[in-house]
Amino acid sequence: MSDSILVIKDVWKTYEIGDERIEALQAINLDIEKGSFISIIGHSGSGKTTLLSVIGGLTEPTQGSVSLDGADVWKLNDAGLSALRNEKLGFIFQFSSLIPTLRAIDNVALPYIFQKRNNTDIYGRAEKILSILGLSKKLNSFPSELSGGQQRRVAIARAFINRPSIILADEPTGDLDAQSESEVMEFFSEINEKEKTTFLLVTHNMELAGMTDRIYRMKDGILTNGG
Amino acid sequence: MKHRLSLLFLSMQNLTRRPFRTYALVLAIAIVSGAIFSTTTLMWGVNSSLKRGLSKFGADLLVVPRGSLISMKSALLTGEPSVFYMDSDILKTIASIKGVKKVSPQLFLSSVEGDCCVMGNAFIIGFDPATDFTVLPWIEEKIEAIFQMDYAIVGGSNSYNVGDDIFFYGQKLKVFGKLGRTGVGLYDNAVFINIEKAYSMAEESHKLPGVSPLKIVRGQISASLVQLDLGAKLPFISFTISKNPDVKVITAGNIITSVRQNLVALFSSTLILSIVLIIANTLMISAIFSTIINERKRELGLLRAIGAKKISIFGLIIYEATLLTSFGGFLGVAVGIVIMRIYQRTIIFNLKSLNMPYIWPSAASIVLLAVAAIGIAVVVGITGTFYPALRGSKLHPYDAIRAGE
Repeated sequence: MSDSILVIKDVWKTYEIGDERIEALQAINLDIEKGSFISIIGHSGSGKTTLLSVIGGLTEPTQGSVSLDGADVWKLNDAGLSALRNEKLGFIFQFSSLIPTLRAIDNVALPYIFQKRNNTDIYGRAEKILSILGLSKKLNSFPSELSGGQQRRVAIARAFINRPSIILADEPTGDLDAQSESEVMEFFSEINEKEKTTFLLVTHNMELAGMTDRIYRMKDGILTNGG
Repeated sequence: MKHRLSLLFLSMQNLTRRPFRTYALVLAIAIVSGAIFSTTTLMWGVNSSLKRGLSKFGADLLVVPRGSLISMKSALLTGEPSVFYMDSDILKTIASIKGVKKVSPQLFLSSVEGDCCVMGNAFIIGFDPATDFTVLPWIEEKIEAIFQMDYAIVGGSNSYNVGDDIFFYGQKLKVFGKLGRTGVGLYDNAVFINIEKAYSMAEESHKLPGVSPLKIVRGQISASLVQLDLGAKLPFISFTISKNPDVKVITAGNIITSVRQNLVALFSSTLILSIVLIIANTLMISAIFSTIINERKRELGLLRAIGAKKISIFGLIIYEATLLTSFGGFLGVAVGIVIMRIYQRTIIFNLKSLNMPYIWPSAASIVLLAVAAIGIAVVVGITGTFYPALRGSKLHPYDAIRAGE
């Protein structure tokens, strides 16, 4: 029995803008085992974010299939896809992604409201993750009261709230200073080790990529093994 | 830490983002629901007052002299004293018609304030206690005695109390009983006396100095009240009586229709305005929520990314509209109640001057009308938000997340 958590087979994503065809992803094949810590590097516009969104069920590929933890992502209906995003995936976006009217702790616990099961300790877990990320004194702060780096850490905390199988992180340390970046990467490693959570990081920071187990390169929509 | 997250909570939080926009929308909805609530409450009040009054009236038909139809309707609805007479022989003719159960006469007198022995203007109605079926059964409070010649019964809006002595044309009368309020002027404002007493009062009025005498003669009556047998055909009997060219037949249906026509004429402009406001508000809400969806595109995409189903996004937006419009609706109803209470005397005075009886609807009816007005406000909100919410729920998550990049 395969120990793969993510299997991508011949995935293409083509955008047609007027007469122009843009191949954002070309014949992507990838097989990632459970508990891997992977990074994809490449320049802006190389297709890294598009690949993450195809894996995460946010944008449908023109061709090919994505299997996540045994589920064929693009054959699921809206309810199945939403449940998959909620329970198996943790997204970290490269931009500020907090709800401005909610406190930091509410933002972290937010995925809970889309769950069917009753999770009474969701706030306890949110508090714990925020404390690990150095935000124990900012639980009740609203996003406007947090710095860019603090907001990024709240968004990171939210990605882990539901103990996902895989974290899809798009430039996760973009707004962080060197020390915070190192703390966040240490946190990722710890979670990866203890909870066997799979990480797929997209970055153009070679130093960050160097901290992962395996690096892939993306160029013009083509994924290659980076060594 | 206590749970507080839910779609409803998220919707409530969203409303706090732009307070001015939220207040403006609440106010616009409040105006619509307030207008609808006030108009329907007034119409309901007139209608129910009329129905209640006429049901107590107890007569299926009212026969009056030809030419007195308008005066009679006015007398019935507002209690404005009106005097007109016909020969009492009509009673026998009507009683002989098959299907007629009871016939009872009434004699209308209008007292004029005079130097001697008249207690101001009053609408005095003489009735026959032996055949009556419209006055005695509706006494709400009375003295423990049998109705006698020197007794009077006063309408519910009269200032006289049971046991008081009152004077008309030199005759002392004791208030025997008081009728319950009906909203129908004839019953609320009049003083009912024995018809024989009314004739003798008219005769005595000629002997009193400084008083305009009552110009009626024994044997004349103003109206004949008719009650039909169960199953009798009202149109047939009405037609049979109408063959007499000297009389006119009034039914309860005639009166209700005539008042409804006045009511529709009076409130049609308000109703049209309310409908226009409803349409305008629906379009306004639709436009504003379309803008809101565009503003929050990235957040909606984010919510989809963390597990929100399309229906959850749709629900979130609909909740927001429901909260906003129900609050606006509630505010409109509350302000409507306060304004109507402040101006209640003016409202009743104006309605009565238009021949429209009015009593405030019961608390249960007001609650029902309030719920309906708030319900309409919520329907306006949901209708206006439906398309933007649908559009928001169908946003492509990836495109929505990258919006504004």
